[in-house]
Amino acid sequence: MDLDANRSLIAAALVHIPAGDRAALQTVYRLTSAKLFGVCLRILGERSEAEDVLQEVYVTVWRKAADFDAARASPMTWLIAIARNRAIDRLRATKQSRRMDPIEVADGMADSMPTADIALENAQDYAKLHGCLGGLDPRERAALRGAFFDGNTYEDLATRMSVPLGTMKSWIRRAMIKLKSCLQQ
Amino acid sequence: MSDLTDHSPEDDLLAAEFALGVLADAERAAAEQRIAGDRGFALAVAAWEERLAPWAAEITEAAPPAVWDRIAAALPADKPQADGIWQNLAFWRIFALASALAAACLGAFIYVGAISQQSPLVAAIEANGSRAFVATIDARRGTIAVQPASYAADATREPELWLIPADGKPRPLGMLRADRAVSIAIPSDLAALTVSNAVLAVSLEPPGGSPTGQPTGPVIATGKLTNL
Repeated sequence: MDLDANRSLIAAALVHIPAGDRAALQTVYRLTSAKLFGVCLRILGERSEAEDVLQEVYVTVWRKAADFDAARASPMTWLIAIARNRAIDRLRATKQSRRMDPIEVADGMADSMPTADIALENAQDYAKLHGCLGGLDPRERAALRGAFFDGNTYEDLATRMSVPLGTMKSWIRRAMIKLKSCLQQ
Repeated sequence: MSDLTDHSPEDDLLAAEFALGVLADAERAAAEQRIAGDRGFALAVAAWEERLAPWAAEITEAAPPAVWDRIAAALPADKPQADGIWQNLAFWRIFALASALAAACLGAFIYVGAISQQSPLVAAIEANGSRAFVATIDARRGTIAVQPASYAADATREPELWLIPADGKPRPLGMLRADRAVSIAIPSDLAALTVSNAVLAVSLEPPGGSPTGQPTGPVIATGKLTNL
């Protein structure tokens, strides 16, 4: 197993932020901003919006670094969650999701493993998640994908997949229960 | 994580919905409130974020424009505010760490202090939030002393210490012991890299050390060198 030096560097820098160390925040920015900007851009679609949210993300990191617990989360997991949440908050404030085009589900087709950036992620974790997602019903997987990558709400997803809201809720909930069980194995 | 099960299946689904991002407006705001006040629920959300985060590997990186200056300008002038529910825990952890480091280094401090004007470089090498080892650099002698703290010996593998300077490339420093402190002479080519903010990491290796010169086993603890 290769040493994930980046992970150590990010975690080490995060520890110094609560004391007011701006250089430590800048280190985190240097190591992670390309990934987090990618996350914001993917959810928001517009560069200017994504830039605003990226700024909010690092101000949030500054405020909340004391909450980061290296025993419970990897630094990238923690940072990606902040970026997704800030981007989703921004999306909700505009009252409309960016992506609302109909989601077509190809029958029984599992997604092929796309080219994933595993420089900052754990390749094993990604392979396992991908495998578990592959075990879901294609409609469930498509709905999760719309939520994770496009920031869709239950209602957005019900519209995009032309099913009643209640049906969408039960798809997602069933999928999450299956996902958790599969990931535990 | 077995300690995350002290909430109902319904709460766990709510945590999943929040982490996935499907909740709208009022429901989302209510879940955020719960995260702030209910530690069990916050941990359930964190566990779901951990499960889903690897998916972000599919998102292409995008070079941001120069946002750093804007971020720096937007930061409050003072230290980050203590507003999280774990703030107290984090504070006491840092306080305990600082006390332990001060105690660990007091001897070296008194001895070296008279000779060297520089404050000693130290690192708490932490694993899962607890101190696995404490390292102290003696710049005058060119050695690094590493004291085991909470590290528990592995049955088949031995702890090896690595220096990760600013370039991110690990350099081997030497083998550590679970039962006593060791003093390692810092190789002369690494002396200039053994500075504040360099990272010390411990990996588990076959007896005698990594055969490749790079870590081959899991990295179990890391810590940053800091001037005391």
